[in-house]
Amino acid sequence: MASSSVFLLMVSGQIETAEFPEYDNIYCRYCFTHGPDWLITSGLEEGITQITKKSRDERQMFVWNFPLDVTFKSTNCYGWPQIVVHAYGLDSFGTDVVRGYGVTHVPITPGRHTIRVPMFVPESSSLLQKVTSWFLGRRPEYVDPRVVAQGEGREVTRVKSQGFLTISFNVLMKDMKKLGYDIQPSDVLNPIMPENVGMATTGMSEA
Amino acid sequence: MAEVHVIGQIVGASGFPDHSLFCKWGINTGGAWKILAGLREGQTQVDNPQNHEAAFFGHPIDIHFATKGIQGWPRIHFQVWHQDQFGRNELYGYGFCHIPTSPGTHEIDCPTWRPTGSFMETVSQHFLGGGPQLKNPDLIYSGADRYRLHTIAMGKVHLRLGVILRNFDKFGIEC
Repeated sequence: MASSSVFLLMVSGQIETAEFPEYDNIYCRYCFTHGPDWLITSGLEEGITQITKKSRDERQMFVWNFPLDVTFKSTNCYGWPQIVVHAYGLDSFGTDVVRGYGVTHVPITPGRHTIRVPMFVPESSSLLQKVTSWFLGRRPEYVDPRVVAQGEGREVTRVKSQGFLTISFNVLMKDMKKLGYDIQPSDVLNPIMPENVGMATTGMSEA
Repeated sequence: MAEVHVIGQIVGASGFPDHSLFCKWGINTGGAWKILAGLREGQTQVDNPQNHEAAFFGHPIDIHFATKGIQGWPRIHFQVWHQDQFGRNELYGYGFCHIPTSPGTHEIDCPTWRPTGSFMETVSQHFLGGGPQLKNPDLIYSGADRYRLHTIAMGKVHLRLGVILRNFDKFGIEC
């Protein structure tokens, strides 16, 4: 019974490039977050890229070319997966400093999508913390990077946006239409309608 | 009942006189609509961009609606505020847009406006800050009592919204 109301979302793609004009030697971590009804059936939920220098030309671009490949299953579109990326760089003392957090939803339509994610770092909340963080060389960070994927409690944070990260996605779904979901517009002449549309939700025809 | 999922992001805002911005948003629907899960309103973080012409929020939106009718299709409204270096907030713009009715991903630029006062008020706002605000924020998304209101153009709010519809074709709605 459970299997009849499940749909699959397959996501592949890559963390392609980044632009951080002021920094060098950057690596990136990613993790997927999703709602309570979602499960990862295959692939890695978290990962970490190599450390890259920016190109020594006018593009000043960081290239990771880092693969993403994960499959989700769910019964409910609410809590659609998001990818949280956080980039770190080595400062002149060789310590890890956060260079940006970013978040975007996995695209909801099948096909290839390239998304340019703006990256931001949190700011110190008081002048005293600003001064001590400058002396200690430690920037403010989020304890759990997944907070950037939540809509609640953001009004208390002040951030500074710096740089972008480019992610490409290839998305495929299974059984969305069977469960009555429309993810692409249909036109009146060519409606997308397999015979068993809505069967899973009427509950009368089966069971 | 038919269902609508709105999944996306308030990406950012651009075209405002200064870029240290945050945004309050909310969703307004007709009476037939019910929110099953997700936040109906919120406030983004304050972004003070380093070297860009735009502020970025990356504020996630994920709402699950159920509806008995298509009248009163949901719309999202914004108040863009500017925060200065002392933490004082000043209104920069109001705006709203409808949630798209077709399923798929949509990039939306929502234009905003702000009320202007008389000439003397404009002069004092230039030197002191502040400025007129709407007493009744319902005016942001209603067209009923807008006449006699003097406004001026402000920047745009950028959204990336994905819309998923469920069981609309079962009720004969062509989407």
